Amino acid sequence: MIKKTDQEQGGISRREFLGTSAAAGAASILPTRSEAAPQAAVPSNGVPLSLPPTDEQMARELGDTLPPSIMRAAQRPGSDLIVQVLRDLEIEFVASNPGSSFEGLQESLINYGEIPNVMPEFISAMHEESAVDMAHGYGKSEGRPICALVQGTIGLQHSAMAIYQAYHGRAPMVILVGRDDKHFLQAHTADDVAGIVRSFTKWDAHPVTLAEALPAIQEAYRQAVTPPCAPTVVILDTEVQKEEAGDMQVPVYVPPVIPTITEQQADEIAAGLMSAAKPRLSVGRFRTPEGIKRSVELAELVGASVETKSQVGPMSFPQSHPLVGPDADDESDYVLGLEASGAHAALHGPHLRTLTERDLTSINFGGIRPPVRPRRDAPGQNDLTADAEASLPLLISAVKRRANSKSRKTVVLRTRHHTDVNHAARLTAIEAALEKTREGWNASPVSTARIYAELWPLIKDLDWCIGGPSRFSSSHHMQLWDHDKPYSYLGGHPAAALGYGLGAATGAALAARERDRIVINVQTDGDFNYTPGALWTAAHHQLPMLTIMHNNRAWHMELMYVQYMAGVRGRGTDRAHIGTTLRDPYIDYAKLAEGYGVKAEGPIEDPTKLAAALARGVDAVRNGEPYLIDVITQPR
Amino acid sequence: MKTYADKLLMTVSGLLFLMTASAQVEFGPISGDAALGKTSYYDYGCYGCHGFGGIGRKNLANDVSGIMFREDIFLTYLRGRSELNPLFPTQSMPNYPADSLSDADALDIYAYIRTFKDDPPDVEDIPALKAILDGAKAQ
Repeated sequence: MIKKTDQEQGGISRREFLGTSAAAGAASILPTRSEAAPQAAVPSNGVPLSLPPTDEQMARELGDTLPPSIMRAAQRPGSDLIVQVLRDLEIEFVASNPGSSFEGLQESLINYGEIPNVMPEFISAMHEESAVDMAHGYGKSEGRPICALVQGTIGLQHSAMAIYQAYHGRAPMVILVGRDDKHFLQAHTADDVAGIVRSFTKWDAHPVTLAEALPAIQEAYRQAVTPPCAPTVVILDTEVQKEEAGDMQVPVYVPPVIPTITEQQADEIAAGLMSAAKPRLSVGRFRTPEGIKRSVELAELVGASVETKSQVGPMSFPQSHPLVGPDADDESDYVLGLEASGAHAALHGPHLRTLTERDLTSINFGGIRPPVRPRRDAPGQNDLTADAEASLPLLISAVKRRANSKSRKTVVLRTRHHTDVNHAARLTAIEAALEKTREGWNASPVSTARIYAELWPLIKDLDWCIGGPSRFSSSHHMQLWDHDKPYSYLGGHPAAALGYGLGAATGAALAARERDRIVINVQTDGDFNYTPGALWTAAHHQLPMLTIMHNNRAWHMELMYVQYMAGVRGRGTDRAHIGTTLRDPYIDYAKLAEGYGVKAEGPIEDPTKLAAALARGVDAVRNGEPYLIDVITQPR
Repeated sequence: MKTYADKLLMTVSGLLFLMTASAQVEFGPISGDAALGKTSYYDYGCYGCHGFGGIGRKNLANDVSGIMFREDIFLTYLRGRSELNPLFPTQSMPNYPADSLSDADALDIYAYIRTFKDDPPDVEDIPALKAILDGAKAQ
């Protein structure tokens, strides 16, 4: 049986079902206990709340026993087929911190196939939160999933915050969860393991046989890449991983059908674009690079000016394209939004909110609020719930059908005009930004603007990606750099929660390593200290990730909040540093990085030493190794 | 007798006048100790928004703030919001009543802020910035 998130539960609520299931599950465990096991306290309803581990379970926890020999004797282990499913889906990596409920799958990952441990490659994470953040960074960079593999209950709880962040970030990923309900500690298993993260995952399943597990993983992949993209979960029992597959075959994967606009709607929008004097596209975030390619084709066919979001997040229109510019919406007589608001038509793929509404009556999502899509104008009758990327071929065809020699001439003239106007506007904006950037140029601590300004000449001709959030270092790249690739900037903390940057950048670096790309990560110190072990992953797997510490020695936003509150209450701000700063002692990030095997230098307080350090760092990552530069910076 | 609100209103009005006429106005004398003010500027977290040398989210270097024209304006500004909170609810600067930051300490901070000078090279004289500018022109 596969338990699905949206499955009807026979007329009872999910909460009621889970309660019933948990009680039944607890009872079913009882016969498997050894006779010598101590008895659990039994409350008045007769159902044990918890059972202490048996001697057998403790022995396994301590590594003193091996899996039963019959499981080791499988000629064709079920986990080999699971790996084959992942391989067929072209999942490049499985990021994982090892756990004692998926040794079957891990053994297959590293040993199965003619060329083992490739597609997917097992990536060693120091923490499950890092593993999921890596999947998050990779997913945003490439627009497709990799897997995180975690241990039931304990590993999944470690990863929960990162999953929550990925859910808000609409990052596609498949989370595989090992579950040992037979030989292991009760604290490590549960009847409904996925329930821990169900409030902020899109879909989950708990197949109980190998025959169910293989299509369940395919469905998890399909759900993860279908808008709204989000993490999905498959629980894999140890018995399923070790099951004899016999002559079982991997099922054929069927890609999802993505909802689009109709041909009639496409024709109406094409008519609006083609008849407008000043058409404009407002482009948000597509699912994959294919959406970008198609949006460029549409813009060039129409000669429309374009607003892009490529400076603030992934998968948007290339910033340096001649059609991109600041043409105000009110000067345009037809504005089409593609995963963004548009005055006359807007194509939005289904929002995450639809998932919440789907299950609201059955599980209430534990009070988790649905993510809100920021928009400049209220949704109106011109908003269409249809995936923009999948709809673009229809739009392009409709525009081509309407094109004639007159319209083509208009497009040429319009494009020429946009090119000139946008170039001038870009230059004006750059000049203003540079004037601002030179403020405090020689200041110590180093200005955050100088970090971005000194970096750009070193990387502008390389294939680069900003893997971690930049907001706390004031995002100077937005004004100074050109964001022309789907992955130029992967965006901020989607749930505004720390502990994400280093892991996400590491995930982006996994993609980069395979593609002759480098990853830049201007890393805030507060965020870094949640999961610094990701540095070891970068060293171990030789990832081209340049980490530049934005070391302001504080959780600075909170420092300012406490300052303000102390001020409002009139009690002085001179103790606001308590609990908000990273002083006494200062943290030596270069030493810390070296301890993890990452070449590093710093702390740098003298701004004149920054450029040479950055050049060394860029050289290192171009050679395929991570590098860290600790820079003592201005607060923001 | 003028109320504190009247005093503040007059000060703010004067402040606005001074800000509009800043190019013609001489800055007032300094009575505080800048060296002591440096410590207080750090301890009271002024650097959080104004940067370690007056270049931050809210710049203070090069005497750009009208609040800094005279010590009495500076003190009135610091105190006013704590007396009449929330007089300027949209401002994010904390309040500084006298019992949390003495006049003497505040004037030391004032003296330190007045030392802030920022004289960066021109864009054309900074290789990294010139490279960015040249790149933008060449596109």
